[in-house]
Parts: sequence; structure tokens; C-alpha cells
Amino acid sequence: MQNGEEPNKIISIEKNSKPRVKRRRVDEGGLVLLFFVLLLLPVLVRHDDYILQVFTHALLLATLALAWNILGISGSISLGHAAFFGAGAYTSALLSLESGISPWLTIPLGGLLSSGLGLVMGLICMRLRGAYFALATLAFVEIPRVITDNWDGLTRGSLGLVGLPGLPSLHLGSWYIHIGSSVAASYYLVLIHALFLSGLVGFIFHSNLGIALQAIREEEIAAQSIGIRIERFRLFSLLVSAFFAGVSGACYAHMVRYIGPELVYGIHFSAAPMIFALCGGRLTIVGPALAALILYPVDQFIFHPLLPAGHEFLYGAVLVLVVIYLPRGFWGSIRKAP
Amino acid sequence: MTLLQLHNVTKTFGEIRALNGIDFSITEGEIVGLVGPNGAGKTTLFNLLSGRFRPSSGRIIFAGTEITGLKPHAICRLGISRTFQSSRPFAKMTALDNVIVGCVFGKGFYLRPRREDKCTALEILGMVGISHKAETLAGDFTLSELRRLDLARALATRPRLLLLDEVAAGFSPVAVKQAVKLVLRVRDRGVTMLIIDHFLNLSLKVSDRLIALDFGEKIAEGPPGEIMKNRKVIKAYLGLRHEEEHE
Repeated sequence: MQNGEEPNKIISIEKNSKPRVKRRRVDEGGLVLLFFVLLLLPVLVRHDDYILQVFTHALLLATLALAWNILGISGSISLGHAAFFGAGAYTSALLSLESGISPWLTIPLGGLLSSGLGLVMGLICMRLRGAYFALATLAFVEIPRVITDNWDGLTRGSLGLVGLPGLPSLHLGSWYIHIGSSVAASYYLVLIHALFLSGLVGFIFHSNLGIALQAIREEEIAAQSIGIRIERFRLFSLLVSAFFAGVSGACYAHMVRYIGPELVYGIHFSAAPMIFALCGGRLTIVGPALAALILYPVDQFIFHPLLPAGHEFLYGAVLVLVVIYLPRGFWGSIRKAP
Repeated sequence: MTLLQLHNVTKTFGEIRALNGIDFSITEGEIVGLVGPNGAGKTTLFNLLSGRFRPSSGRIIFAGTEITGLKPHAICRLGISRTFQSSRPFAKMTALDNVIVGCVFGKGFYLRPRREDKCTALEILGMVGISHKAETLAGDFTLSELRRLDLARALATRPRLLLLDEVAAGFSPVAVKQAVKLVLRVRDRGVTMLIIDHFLNLSLKVSDRLIALDFGEKIAEGPPGEIMKNRKVIKAYLGLRHEEEHE
């Protein structure tokens, strides 16, 4: 062991990390390739609407998983993101349906309301840690679900909301895109959202905010003792995470154009982001999104035709295998750095 | 100049008086050893000073500011930093990142990573003698490396007062010698230190003064040589019969 006889000796870290730099290039090449595949997908599948719809939904789940992981960086596992997804969906749907505001405006408003709900969740659940936090969030989903289900006058209760306005057309001078009616256009819209969120998560990871969230994840008491205000950082990550989960829900509402309490507050939208994040790699930036882009299409194209009743067993099986054999997630195992 | 002052500090957990009316002060530049048998209240005192617990009564004044009951992050920003009896590394982060967190957050914080922080962190890792492990995950460190990393992280916050909790416990004689050198080097940077040292293997060699605790009370205070001959201290460590034999 070196005993520190040379206090100012700085060992070049570039030297130590050379092999990793090489591997990173392979990963980054893969990501660039994936980017172009996603960009050209509508052309590659010859505008097959079914395939495009599946990938649109996969991208939407990817945005939800990315949003989930903003909280995940700080070590909190949420089983309640359906609360934000559903609240975002209902807020945007009701605002656009009742007052005729453009979905372009109601979608971020849906995110804001989800953030408000995140504040409530934070105040109630943030004193808990680990499994206790996860269970509290699981129970928390019931609050917005029961309110939505029973406030018939506003939400039409369990009947759900039908005939929601689709995403309106974009006008750019004489040139315009019918996002609402074109499958490819909504695909690109969700793709842009997913890319934006990946960028945001990347920024958080590499900023000092990310380093604080990671420190909190690893050792709260030590993090506090070196000057980190852990309550604020944990709450902040929850609010941002809830905002983008709400935006995902709102996009979902205007793309599917039907929502009901059992659907958008269902366990599916709580479990999916967690499964994707754990499978892809919770400590990575794009791992959760990659898992959504792989698992959901595999589920829809392969397992759904084979096992129409029990196709979702795929998620359970993959999750068990990943947790046992690749605890860092598949992307986390390929790539050591975030 | 007096850096730290404790006035009649008491901490109770239910029925148990972990600390009872502790008074002492530390002058800037001093190294003070805090000694005493298991359960004497040494770590509890650290937890009060670092803000992890709130004193039940009494006042703690640091550099002229009352810090009684402040939150840990606020106390750290004022200039008190600590290490832990069992190290608490950020296991899935590299040693370098562990220390960078301290640099960034020790005195407030900013969003954009700065190059200086990396350099400072590497310099501190060099000072504690683990710069060759900068890119290793803290979770893979040995006991002695973990203690060094804990110290490096605490130093990164630029403290005026450093609280070292059992920094050399379980060390071989060679490692203790290195720890002594390290502590003196830290002092040369102008850091005042309060050192918990149950086995006295470090504090006897570096301390200007020792404070002895037993059952939550301060039983003695003075130069190391004097404290080691103090009857109450011997009694606390070795029991009554031994003391009688010495008489």
C-alpha cells in the first residue's frame, strides 16, 4: 500500500481508463446506429401502421421509464408512477375536452399537475426509505384513482373519457403536418420527446445535481455530512420525475384518445417503468429507454400472438433473470459508466 | 482563538443519559483526543457536533456562531466535517467522485462541474495516499483505504474543524505510523482536529490535549501524559481492582 509520501503526486487517470474509453466507443456507435434506425423506422417498415403504433407506444413507455429513473438516480424505487401518468392524462384530457384549450398547452399543464401530486407524495412518503417508500407509493396511486373514479361530475367516473381531441396539426406557413391523424407524425413527436428526456437525464447525471443524487442513493448520512441538503434533492428529483411522467400520460391520452381510471392508474404504468429501468440498468442514462424499446415490441410482436392471455409473463420472466444474472441491468453490464 | 465551545451539553435517549453536562473548548490549530471506554459517549458527542442529533440541552458554539441543533449540511458549510467509525463510502462511485462530491457541496453548491474540483480531489487523494486508486469504485476498497477515503472526502469540504472517529482502529503498527504522519500533515494545512481514539494508539502520539469521557461524563482533561496517569481514567478503562493493585 502506498503510504502517501508524495502528497502532491497526481497520477494520470487517462492512463488507467484507456480500456474503458475503447469500449465506450463501441457503445456509443451502437447508440448512434439505434438513433438512425429510429429516425428512419417509418421508412424501414414501409409505413406499416401497426408496427409504427407499437414502436410509438414503446417510445412512450421509454419516456415514462426515463422519467421514472430521474427519481431512480437518488435511489428511491417508486411503484406509484401511474399516479402521475394518470393525473397527467386526466388533466390534459379534461382541459382540452371541456375548455377546448389546445393539447400543446394542456400537455405541459398535465405535467404540472402531476408535479403538484408529486409534492403531496413527497411530503407523505419521502420520510420513508427503500421498500417502505416503494410500498407507500404503491398505495399512493389509490388517492388520485379513487378521486377520479368517484368524481363523476368532472371525470365521468369509471366510464372514462372518450373522443379526446387528437394532437392538432402543426402549421409552418403553407406546410403543415397532421400529427393527430398521421401515425408517423405522432411517432416522431414521441421520438423527439424521448430524445429530449434522454438528453435531460444525461445532463442531470453529468451535472453536480446527478453526483448529489447518486451520493444520496449510496449513503444518505455521509451525503448530509458533506453538505448536501438531502431532503431538497430527493424532493426535487421526485417533482421533475412526476412532471415528465405526467407529460407522458398526457401524450398517451391524446394519442389513444380514450382514457379510464382503471387504464391510466393501472398497475401497468407503475410497474412498466420500474421493470424497464431495472432491466436496462438503473444506474445508466439510456438503459431504461433501451429496455422499453426492446421488451415492448418483443412482447407485442412475438409473445402476444403466442399467448394472448398471458403474454405479460415475459416482463416477469425477464425481470427475474436480469435481477439474478445482470444485477446492473443489461446496458449497465455492457457499459460501466453511466 | 477559541474555535469550538461546549456549554453544559446533555443528550438523553429516553431514560439513558448518553452525555451529561459536557463542557470543553478547543483552540484553533489544536489536536484534541477524545478517549474513553465503549459506551462513554464519544460517538454521540460527534453526532451532536456534526448535527446528526440535537442536544437535549446545552449549547454548542463554533467560531462565534451557535450551531446547536443545526442540520448536518449547514454545520458542514460552516466548517465542521467528520469521518465515520465504520466508513460510509459512496460505494458505487469512484474514489475520485466520492471526493469531488465533498469539493462541490462542502460550501454551498453549483450545477456545472468544474475542472478545479477534479484537480483538488486528486490532490487530496494524493495527500491521503490513494491517488493511484482514483478510478476504483469505493466499494472495492480495503479497510485502511476506506478510512483514507473517508478522510479525503471530509477534507474536500475545506473544514476548519475535522472530527475523526476511530481513524486508526484496527490498524497495524505500521499503518498507525502512517496515520500519525497523515494527521500531522492535515494539521499543517491549518485544520483543527478532534480525534476519537478508543485504543489511544493514535491520539497519544499526536494530541496536544486529551479529554476523557466515561458514562457520558467528562472525567478528565489535560496533556496526554497526565491523563494516562489519571486515576479516574485508569479506573474507567481497567476497572476498580486494577486501580487498587496499583495503590
